[in-house]
Amino acid sequence: MTAHIVRIGLRSAASLLAVSALAFLVVAFMPSDPVMIAIRAWNLPVDETTISALRTEWGLDRPFPARYLSWLADFVTGDWGRSFRTGEPVLDEFSSRLPLSLGIGLGGLTLAAFAAIPLGFAAALKPDGVADRLSRLLAITVQAVPAFWLGLVLIWVLGVQLRLISPFSAGIDVMALAGGLVALHSTGMLARVYRRDLIEQTMQPYYRTALAKGLTRRQALWRHGHSSALYALLSAMRSEAGWAIGTTAALEVLFGLPGVSQFLVQSISARDHSVLLAYIMVVAGWMLAMNAGVELAMRRLDPRAAR
Amino acid sequence: MKARFLLCAAMGLFIVAGGFWQPHDPDAVDMTLRHALPSFEHPLGTDHLGRDLASRMMIAGWRTASVVLAVGAIGFVGGSLAGTAAAILGGWREQITLRAAELFIVVPTLIWALTAAAIFGLSPVTAGIALGLAGVGPYALLSNSLTHRVLGQPFVHAARGLGVSSPRLMARHVLPNTLPLIFVYVGSQAGQAVVAYASLAFIGLGSDPSKPDWGSMLFEYRMFVFDHPMLMIWPGLAIVAMTALLNWVFEHRPGS
Repeated sequence: MTAHIVRIGLRSAASLLAVSALAFLVVAFMPSDPVMIAIRAWNLPVDETTISALRTEWGLDRPFPARYLSWLADFVTGDWGRSFRTGEPVLDEFSSRLPLSLGIGLGGLTLAAFAAIPLGFAAALKPDGVADRLSRLLAITVQAVPAFWLGLVLIWVLGVQLRLISPFSAGIDVMALAGGLVALHSTGMLARVYRRDLIEQTMQPYYRTALAKGLTRRQALWRHGHSSALYALLSAMRSEAGWAIGTTAALEVLFGLPGVSQFLVQSISARDHSVLLAYIMVVAGWMLAMNAGVELAMRRLDPRAAR
Repeated sequence: MKARFLLCAAMGLFIVAGGFWQPHDPDAVDMTLRHALPSFEHPLGTDHLGRDLASRMMIAGWRTASVVLAVGAIGFVGGSLAGTAAAILGGWREQITLRAAELFIVVPTLIWALTAAAIFGLSPVTAGIALGLAGVGPYALLSNSLTHRVLGQPFVHAARGLGVSSPRLMARHVLPNTLPLIFVYVGSQAGQAVVAYASLAFIGLGSDPSKPDWGSMLFEYRMFVFDHPMLMIWPGLAIVAMTALLNWVFEHRPGS
């Protein structure tokens, strides 16, 4: 088990390194010159000495690999650069905003996993029953309806018509609404995955043996189908984790919640490349952490799956 | 099956026509006609600057459609070529291609597109290219596993035994067998591309506010949710209709 954790850790670190190189390359190709932006932002005189002094200070006169390596060394040691716009260290900005974004994304995903299991189970218990139709409808709907528009409609219904929530207030009710919207999409998708795998289990000989032993359909499904279906559900969590980031970003903008994505949006007009780089790294770190967590959980469920 | 394609063609025709002809200039501001109710002159009414909502929706539909086309073309062509070629070449070249494809999956498609939009500005062209390139990863992995399945078939062994070259093997024996299956995937990707482009425009990184998009219209009109909710209903319904139609047309029925 320990060896396995070490291997996953090493692989994640290697992926993170590759993503950082790619992201640094993309951001370095930014058509706008950070020196000119800084000069405009700080009202410095536009002359040769200022420009060359800033270029030397930021190391922009050095070759690309050297710049990348020194950025990487700074990043690993916790120096994520300073934001042009706020003048604060990027790391501080991120650490104050990350709990909100993580709370919405992770909270929504956890909620979805717990909601998807009973829904998917009920759907598999009675194919074409009420729960099955409901879960299918939910899956089709969430694929077509963007979460941020649903959020906007809910602001209108709950905030304007019923006056239950105060929209654009960044209060706890709005955060719960955002988490619920993230959960809704994942619930629809995960419940279908869970149901499909349970139905597949009913074709297996051991399921029929369990029925012959006198177990009810419900008991047989839960005892002999659940862990396999849970495995499929966990595997689907990985792609949902990526989806949750995009949804959280749009919802932060919609509700005006002070999360990392909103910070990125505000910083981007200032062409703040250290914020952009930090954002990509945080997202990649989140995806890799989710992948590693899912893989470990799947391994606990099925030790044979060790590749 | 036939009804689906007819409906899809009708929607496609409507969108293309809407891209070239609108009842009004979508950017014409008329402050005397703010928030006009739907009428014969303005079928969906006007917005807070007196611009014709229907005309703006039509232009936005055309912009969304061009994104979907670009995403589908780039992801489909690039991904299936890369995945198939990797499977045929095998060895370290396959490993590198697959690792590179996984790299794009580590950072979600939307975030790569967000980065591209932040750097180059958001337009249907940049969004289409960014979403398409980021979508190459999943296509490559899918076509790679499908190709491996075909490569195990006897007729491929026979062709190899006859000395058929790799490019020819790919074009004549592998791709005709894998492309229909990959094409099914295009449908769900196209639906996702509509939502992704709407999200990008809604988040608004580097987008040109004078050019209407369904997503940016939702962002612009969200403040009028209290007094004029219909302004934000129409663009949302358009996104839902287009995504649902794309998903429905390409729907992969289980068992078929």
